[in-house]
Amino acid sequence: MIEYLVCAAAFGLLLLGIHRKVIARIQMRPGPPVWQEILHALKFSFKSTWVPRTASATLFVGIVLVAIAIWSAALFVVLAGESILILIGIYMLHKIVEHGFGLSSGSPYGKFGGVRSVISAASEIPLFVTITAIYFFTGSLLLRDIVAYQAVHGPLLLIVPPAAIAMYLVILSKLPFGPFSIVESKEIVSGYKTEHFGVWRAALAVTDGLKTFVLLYAFVLIFLGALPFWLILALMTAVLVSLSFVCAITPVLSPYDSVTVQSIITGLMLAYIGYLWWVVP
Amino acid sequence: MLSIGGQDLFVLEFGDILHYFSPYTLTLFLLAVLFTGLAIISRPEEQIEIAFGGDAYYAKETTLPEMRFRRFMAIACGLASIGAMVSGDLFNYTLFTSMVGITNVGIVAAVKNRHVLNAAYAYGIVAMIATLPLFGSAALIVATTGTLSIPALAAGGQAVPLVGKALLVLGVVGEGMAPFYAAKAEMFRAPGAPYVIMCSLSSLLIFLRVVEIVTTI
Repeated sequence: MIEYLVCAAAFGLLLLGIHRKVIARIQMRPGPPVWQEILHALKFSFKSTWVPRTASATLFVGIVLVAIAIWSAALFVVLAGESILILIGIYMLHKIVEHGFGLSSGSPYGKFGGVRSVISAASEIPLFVTITAIYFFTGSLLLRDIVAYQAVHGPLLLIVPPAAIAMYLVILSKLPFGPFSIVESKEIVSGYKTEHFGVWRAALAVTDGLKTFVLLYAFVLIFLGALPFWLILALMTAVLVSLSFVCAITPVLSPYDSVTVQSIITGLMLAYIGYLWWVVP
Repeated sequence: MLSIGGQDLFVLEFGDILHYFSPYTLTLFLLAVLFTGLAIISRPEEQIEIAFGGDAYYAKETTLPEMRFRRFMAIACGLASIGAMVSGDLFNYTLFTSMVGITNVGIVAAVKNRHVLNAAYAYGIVAMIATLPLFGSAALIVATTGTLSIPALAAGGQAVPLVGKALLVLGVVGEGMAPFYAAKAEMFRAPGAPYVIMCSLSSLLIFLRVVEIVTTI
């Protein structure tokens, strides 16, 4: 069990390293080596660790453990082929975790990051109407049923492409340096992560790795179905590189614009769901 | 009962009231328990504020009576969330949800600050109005189907009216929307992260549960 967690976190961190490298190359910079995020996680593990005097100490530390716990659970939900509703629940709860990270320190930068996290949830969460589109066709939200459906009918990517686009945007919202990365944009230092250093930051890096792996793995399984494992990893990397292109050529939006754009996309998705409800028997 | 949250793991019976644990409801239940525990054992942080017009800063402290009251409300909110996550009875779910709304108002209203109290007032009105569609949905569903048991409704014997589901969602949005409504004033001006976080968490949990309920029944 632990080996799955370690491999998923390491591969997720490698993906984040590739993400930074691709962005840098598009922007004509050399960029860090692709394993930089793994090195960061290791480096922070051995740096001095503290809890700020103003922090709510229990929450400051406890929220780190909660972050690791929820994404570990998400990994096993995906591996076990359980309901994607649980995955979505965990994704949404990550917003609460970001909120907890930000508020627990007492830092104004963390506080702004935490508040932005909750505000952006209002627009990001409805993007999950995408699962309704999937449910219309598969009649189940269990991942194993969705994979089985695709084995018979072909990839959902071709059946419900707008749902795939919506999920793609959900993943984009969670990637660093993206247009919707308002929770950790540079005008608020590192946002909700600002005060978590040392081991706490290393744990946060591991969480980011797990989160990236789980979301991309779930995307491939949900919209392309069961494939050889090496091909899934290759496709995850390809999806990530495409996301990196988006991140490289778009600025971080202001919080207002970020929420507005996501809300418009949600409106379009709701219209699509209404259309499906009308035409699908 | 096979719901979209996965196959039931076990059912806890209290007389004719059922509490069912599927992988989905169990996940939400455990998170509600976890965060309630954190609210019990955590002390509030001291928020650092920049003094307007200068480069000085100061730390806001929470008084002991305020901390006690907000902690009590946060624990009550956690318990209501726990109940809402596993309840197999639609009326109990609406009761727990309205309790989440009331306790969220309490968490915010304990802060003696004009802006925060204004937010709590607006917040309370939204939550209060939302109880109408919330309980109205339960009344409508029991009137048309004769039961409020979620497993019985999920069995498909009775057609649940779409308007009943829509009112249920509307009620939960109203109860759960209140923290979003008050988020800015509350979080920017009032310290107390372990309690504030219960506002957001409980709202999110009742949203997540209502998705499962309306797609199951």
